[in-house]
This record gives sequence, C-alpha cells and structure tokens, in this order.
Amino acid sequence: MWVYEKKLLYPVEVTTCNPMLARYLMEQYGGADGELAAALRYMNQRYTVPDKVIGLLTDISTEEFSHLEMLATMIYKLTKDATPEQLEKAGLGAHFVNHGHSLFYENAGGVPFTATYIQSKGDPIADLYEDIAAEEKARATYQWLIDISDDPGINDALRFLRERENIHSLRFREAVELLKDERDRKKVF
Amino acid sequence: MNVFDERMRLLKTVQQMDFVVVEWTLYTDTHPNDEDALEKWREAIKNAAVARKQYENKFGPLSLKSIPSRQALELGWRWNQDPWPWQL
Repeated sequence: MWVYEKKLLYPVEVTTCNPMLARYLMEQYGGADGELAAALRYMNQRYTVPDKVIGLLTDISTEEFSHLEMLATMIYKLTKDATPEQLEKAGLGAHFVNHGHSLFYENAGGVPFTATYIQSKGDPIADLYEDIAAEEKARATYQWLIDISDDPGINDALRFLRERENIHSLRFREAVELLKDERDRKKVF
Repeated sequence: MNVFDERMRLLKTVQQMDFVVVEWTLYTDTHPNDEDALEKWREAIKNAAVARKQYENKFGPLSLKSIPSRQALELGWRWNQDPWPWQL
C-alpha cells in the first residue's frame, strides 16, 4: 500500500505562465519515456523478478510517482492562468476543447498514453535492460527539455530529474550484475 | 521571518532530509552488505524524522502516519486543507 505525503520530492518554482513549455513537458508526463510509463513499468515488473531486486523496483517506481507529481505541478502552474487564445497559440487548442485547463496523460504531440509503451517479459535480464534503456531515454528527453526551456525555476527542477535518471540507470545496471553473480554462482558445484 | 517563509524553510529541510533517505535506500538496495552505507541509511532516517517533527509541530502532519495534536484540530487544522503541494 501507499501513504500520501503532502509535499513534493523536490521544490518546483514557477513564476511565469508559459503554455508552450507546459506542452513540451507533457512528453515526460504521459509520453513513451515519461514518468507515468516508468512508474507503471517497474511497479508491474516487480512481482516476478528475483527477490534480490524487488526492493529496487518498488523504490524506484515509488520515486517515479513523485516525479510524475513534480511534472504535474510544473504543467499545472505553467497553464493555470493561460487564456484559451494563449493555449491555442501554444498548440494546446485541441487539448483545451477536450480537457479545459485540466491535465491529461498525453505526450507533447497530444497522443494519449498507452500501455503499449511498456513491457514485462517475465525475464529479469530482459526487464532490467528495458529499464536501463527507459532511464537513459528519459535522461535524454530531460536534456532536450532543458535545452529548449529558458525558465530558470523549471530548469532547476528538470536538472534534478535528469540526475535522478542517471542514478536509476546506475542502480538498474548494478541490479543486472547482482543477478549475473547469482547465476554464475549457481553453475559452480 | 513571516509564517509562510518559515513554513517553506522547514518544508525544504524535510525535503532535503527525506531525499537523503531515498538516495541511501536505493544504494543499499543494490549494496546490501555495505555496513558503512547501512549505518548512513539508518542515520538519514533518524535525521529525516527530526526534521519532519519540527515541521509538523508547527504546520500539521505531512502524512497520515503522523498523529495530529488535539491543539492543531482545535485551532482548525484539517488534513483536507490547502495548500496542496502543487498550489504552493
């Protein structure tokens, strides 16, 4: 089970309305390599991985949900005061007529989230390699977002998130090594 | 320091201390035999609890794992009370 904590993982400061930037951030909210995909992927894989890596998948998945909340906070704050005209100019006209000012799990191009973004193979090495790739893709997306954004508050939060992807990738690579060690030991009689 | 700034300062300390716990937890997940890391992880949890208590004594529970004081309830504190994290 989970218990809600009434705080963000890391502070998000937004001072300027910027619906175009919000739209770009949706890539990490409801996109293929985004936080929702990451959280759901690990939370689902954890039931059938070896005991040694269940804790890691549980803990990283939980952290991804807190990243999702940070992204939601950024998107909400960047769009809450935008007029329909401003949203339309930012390419969010179609979003507005369907969702108003509310958030939705979709990518920067407006494509809704789908479970086909993620996999679960019942094979721990296959799953963990997918997880490493997912973290690296998310890291790259955060880099492109930082490159395209000139909002200092948003960029501070994005840099934090980019570094977290690095750490998660490292921990998943260590998890692969733990499983390989175990496999190799089993062969010795 | 006004009440809002004080609140944000104490909240930031909680966020920092909790983050140290997150980081050591992931590390110890893949280094279960690193005694030094396990001790740091234990220390981090203790420090986070202290920081949390300082915040919650003034501004109420951050989760339903902390007991709200009778005084806070009498003064009108409720769980369902803004600001929520995305409203700050």
